[in-house]
Amino acid sequence: MPERRMIHIVDDEDAIRRSASFMLKTSGFDVQTWASGVLFLKEVRSVEPGCILLDVRMPEMDGLEVQQALSASGIAMPVIVLTGHGDISIAVRAMKAGAVDFIEKPFEKAKLLDAIEAGFAQLDDKAGRATRAHDASTAIAALTDRERDVLEGLAQGLPNKTIAYDLGISPRTVDVHRANLMTKLNVRTLSDALRLAFAAGLGGSDE
Amino acid sequence: MRRGKPRAGGDRNDASAGTHADELNLLIDGAHNYAIYMLDPAGHVTIWNMGAERLKGWSEAEVLGRHTSLFYPSDQIAEGKPEADLAAARKHGRLEEEAWRMRADGSEFLAHITITALYDESGKLRGFGKVIRDVTEQRAVERALKASAAHLESILSTVPDAMVVIDARGRILSFSKAAEELFGISEAEIVGANVNLLMPQPDRAQHDGYIRHYLETGERRIIGIGRTVTGRRRDGTTFPMDLFVGEAIADGERVFTGFIRDLTEKQATEQRVDELRSDLVHSARISAMGTMASTLAHELNQPITAVANYMEAIRDLLATPNPDDLPMIREALDDAASEAIRAGQIVRRLREFVARGDIEKTVEDLPSLIKEAAELALLGAREKGISARFDLDSTATPVLVDRVQTQQVLINLMRNAVEAMSEVAERQLVVSTRDDEHGFVRVTVADTGPGVEEQVAGDLFRAFNSTKAGGMGLGLSICRTIIEASGGRIWMEPREGGGTLFHFSLVKVGGEEGDA
Repeated sequence: MPERRMIHIVDDEDAIRRSASFMLKTSGFDVQTWASGVLFLKEVRSVEPGCILLDVRMPEMDGLEVQQALSASGIAMPVIVLTGHGDISIAVRAMKAGAVDFIEKPFEKAKLLDAIEAGFAQLDDKAGRATRAHDASTAIAALTDRERDVLEGLAQGLPNKTIAYDLGISPRTVDVHRANLMTKLNVRTLSDALRLAFAAGLGGSDE
Repeated sequence: MRRGKPRAGGDRNDASAGTHADELNLLIDGAHNYAIYMLDPAGHVTIWNMGAERLKGWSEAEVLGRHTSLFYPSDQIAEGKPEADLAAARKHGRLEEEAWRMRADGSEFLAHITITALYDESGKLRGFGKVIRDVTEQRAVERALKASAAHLESILSTVPDAMVVIDARGRILSFSKAAEELFGISEAEIVGANVNLLMPQPDRAQHDGYIRHYLETGERRIIGIGRTVTGRRRDGTTFPMDLFVGEAIADGERVFTGFIRDLTEKQATEQRVDELRSDLVHSARISAMGTMASTLAHELNQPITAVANYMEAIRDLLATPNPDDLPMIREALDDAASEAIRAGQIVRRLREFVARGDIEKTVEDLPSLIKEAAELALLGAREKGISARFDLDSTATPVLVDRVQTQQVLINLMRNAVEAMSEVAERQLVVSTRDDEHGFVRVTVADTGPGVEEQVAGDLFRAFNSTKAGGMGLGLSICRTIIEASGGRIWMEPREGGGTLFHFSLVKVGGEEGDA
């Protein structure tokens, strides 16, 4: 890598800050750590831009609130959300609010690096956004109505059971649609599918 | 005799004889409780004293010359008893008996009767002297005494408590039926033996000493107090028993009476109750941890994540070994190790907490007990913006408690406090300890939450009363069960400036009543 890029870790857990910092520094990044969202927001205008690793569960302000405050003040740094455990609805809300990805603790280094790479790509390629939205819409147009319904449900952060209930189909069928739409969209993970969905303007009916 | 009777004067006819006869008459009349009268040889009344009038109700005038059968009940007359009695007196010189006799008013009385045949100097029968005493009441009293003794005996033979009476040297004087059954020894076998036969060692060897100590000092260790001791059956098996000892002086001899109640069944019942309570309390712990599962998972995730981060980073560093990296790697490994240990510690606390241990009271250092409980109770509390403070008096310790159960109470109260403060701006939890009165230590968990509504406060510690949406209403009632079972109490009061104080008391070791 030609220059060392900056990563901001915002987590109230000292152990996470230290260990993730070690991991990223030894992978060639510069790292700044922040013990709370409040501290980070106070300094954010003067820090070196980079990718933000943002913990969800924190005192005072949780990760989603920090994310909102960032976008409200026009900070365009990419955000990767760290969740304690599989809390899909929080992850979806974070994605909808523009997060690059969400990662469950404990996470694999490779997965984190992938997400960071995507984050910097986004930072480098703001103009690409419109293109991506267009591409996303094209990809989603190829889905069947049912698959689109299921994707819409996922984008709203609903669990499979609720989507099945709302659509009057069985959860097994929802699983099948979900697998099919991910194949058609050529994505491997739910967060990839969601990114496309949000880029195409899905999941915007609530809130 | 109203008047002197010349016939009673005898043959001598001088003045002094007359005086003697008068004195004799006075004596005879003065014999208050005795009817004294004479019959002629054929059985007719010849002399009648005032005692006889008082006792039987006939005046002298009414009775003189009447036949002795007048005094007999009709059934005895029919049997010919009046004549038979006189014949018996004549034959043996004297007849003494107790029998029913009639009064003038027709009533009967139990009479002690002496009939003496009187002969003159020539050996000729002159008549009969009769002395009669009313013994109705005396016999009644005697019968009553006998009856009450029998009554007492029947009670003692049926009371469920075994009774053993010993003398001042410890020898068994009496051994009740219940005692025979309890110890498997018959009274006949054991009377006269030393009572220490009924005890296991070391009491057996020391019992004579116990009695001697009491006799010498008067210091009562069991007499009038009662205590739980161990008894020993004939077959050598032992059993718990309540022993109450009373002391009495009977005929100048000191005796001790022991009442014994077999506690085997009572203790078994108590043990069962303890087990059930322990089960309930244990279930509550499991359930409490169930509601904490998400918090626990989150808390365990943190150190595990840290360890994974260090390990992957180090693995990749070692892919291109560089001696310059070693200090950094060592530091990272140290950190990873301590994070792994931290995760292990959470798991260990959790395992100790949900383990089904026997209820066991031990002497515990209160501050460290509270700190340990807080490790579990305050998991996730910091993320909720709660600051916890400990104000633990280093002199208000140690305490005699069941460690896990007491931590259960603490965890319950602390988590309640954390939950109560989720909606308020000021979120401070304070756990404090102080010496309390009567050898207790008071623990207080204070929160700055919205407080407890007045109409809820009264039922706060009752089971199945919950103000929480998903609550079973068992938490605080379990707390009360635990605290009261260990001799303390638990209560709530509003905190000055808002919030709630939960207090509970624990038995302090070495306190005023520490070993009572």
